[in-house]
Amino acid sequence: MGSRVEILNEGGFRSDGRRQYELREVTIDLSQQGQADGAAVITHGLTRVMVSVFGPREAKSRSQTIHDRANINVEVAISPFSAGERRKRSRGDKRILEMAATIKSTFEPVVQTTLYPRSQIDVFVQVLQQDGGVLQACINATTLALVNAGIPLLDFVCAVSGGVYSTSPMLDLSLLEENDLPNLTVAVMPKTGKFTLATMETRLHVDRFEDIFKLVCSASQALHQEMKDAVRVRTTSLVTAMGTIQSNVGGDMMMDES
Amino acid sequence: MAISLSKAEKSYIQAGIVGDPPHRSDGRALHDFRTVALETGVAPLSNGSARLTIGTVLRGGGGTEVLAATKLEVEDVKVSGVDGGRIVCSVTCSPAAYPHLSSGALEDLQYDMTTIVDQTLSHPSLRPSNLSIVKGQKSWLLNLDLVVLSDAGNVHDALFMAARAALWDTKVPRTLSIEYKAAAANRNAGGMEIDDASGLDTRQQPSIADFGLHDFWDEGEPLGGREAWPVSVTLNLISPIHYLDASAQEEAATPLRLLQAFSFSPSGTSLQGMRVLGVGELDAKTVKQGIEDGEKYAREIYTALNAKLKDEDVRRNQKASYRFARR
Repeated sequence: MGSRVEILNEGGFRSDGRRQYELREVTIDLSQQGQADGAAVITHGLTRVMVSVFGPREAKSRSQTIHDRANINVEVAISPFSAGERRKRSRGDKRILEMAATIKSTFEPVVQTTLYPRSQIDVFVQVLQQDGGVLQACINATTLALVNAGIPLLDFVCAVSGGVYSTSPMLDLSLLEENDLPNLTVAVMPKTGKFTLATMETRLHVDRFEDIFKLVCSASQALHQEMKDAVRVRTTSLVTAMGTIQSNVGGDMMMDES
Repeated sequence: MAISLSKAEKSYIQAGIVGDPPHRSDGRALHDFRTVALETGVAPLSNGSARLTIGTVLRGGGGTEVLAATKLEVEDVKVSGVDGGRIVCSVTCSPAAYPHLSSGALEDLQYDMTTIVDQTLSHPSLRPSNLSIVKGQKSWLLNLDLVVLSDAGNVHDALFMAARAALWDTKVPRTLSIEYKAAAANRNAGGMEIDDASGLDTRQQPSIADFGLHDFWDEGEPLGGREAWPVSVTLNLISPIHYLDASAQEEAATPLRLLQAFSFSPSGTSLQGMRVLGVGELDAKTVKQGIEDGEKYAREIYTALNAKLKDEDVRRNQKASYRFARR
């Protein structure tokens, strides 16, 4: 294989032109999707995930209720056309169940479930495009959708993936890099600096772990700022919209009085 | 299948529709559609894709939304394929579109939708001419995947429109067939005199067929006969009248729906599929009248959709060439 893609070239650039510690472009769309109580579409480069949140509401089946807190129900669906090779995964696919379980356990310590006993919060994740870092995109989109739905959280959860090429750590791996490098995904609560998830499916040298881990934690701060800004823009636009309605209503009443 | 309504709500909606003049909750006339928005080329890793919404307010949500994408795979005719290629459609419903349904019910629903779409679109009469790669050896398998992201009524029409748009957008890579033949010298290695022109020579000609990809600037050529992909129209029947593009509430209040898929091509119009959805009976006269009216509505949808698709072609090609020029 002579034409093998260089992961990190001598000039310090990666295959997609990024620097070692550079994140891909993040776009966040918090507009309403269907009937969901809160929704978010996030893109990390070419990876695109949509999350819809319903609830807290009464559980569909009685057996799913917990007497002292809300149950978080996560369902993941991966569009068959989202990857290079078409692959249709059914609802019971092990990989999908595992991902759903990971997302659920990431959010259980963050969502204030004790406020809603005997109810259910549904999180529906739809992966629309994948190019590496699907899990991080799912977690970030879920955070934003939960915030958008007005569900009380202790903190944001920001997830970033990191890997190491030879001895140089890298952030936010694309699919090409993810296939070749040892990598991990960490979900951090940026205010407290605690983390709720650290997952790795490859082997990584112990000495390298600390470097990457610290790097990923600091990257999550940058992502936190990005997410906070998006939420602020969305809320401001909602408040403005409500303001106009209220002033209109006020104007009508004034007219009625005169 | 949709949301549950009380008897009072149902009769209120029905009375409004049957009344003179008819009243619908959003102020539409009986044969008006909600706003349909369409964008092609939304999935970069597919061979063709489209996103279609019916009745979505700008950035406000609340409508029916369908995502469709096609992917081509090479298939060996001798193993699993059909000579000349084949089409397989599948519909998946996001649980967010039907938040009140259990996962079992959702599975049934998407199976129903898959059956309707697949039986109509994969019929041999609609098969594109250029899905064959090497005759009798290799062909393209076209997978059409549709995802229902949200349902606010009239999901079937949305599915067919999105499917038509994605298929319209599909580009089949250009291929070159290559054939390897064993040299004639090897065959008469025994030194025997062989008359090559003999008609009685039944020995196998050892040959292997394969294909290569044409190196060209675009992604390929569109599917053959793409004008013929059907559009569907659902007539919602509340006797004695029918109306179009029901919202979710109206759908729940309508006992019977007649779904028809029409294909318009230069050679003529054909009815490619028909379903009666819901429970109840339907007399032959209504069906006959329904087909006549349905064809009229379908032709309007077809004309509008074609105009939009051509618009999208221009938008994307111009955008692409503009971007290319700026490099």
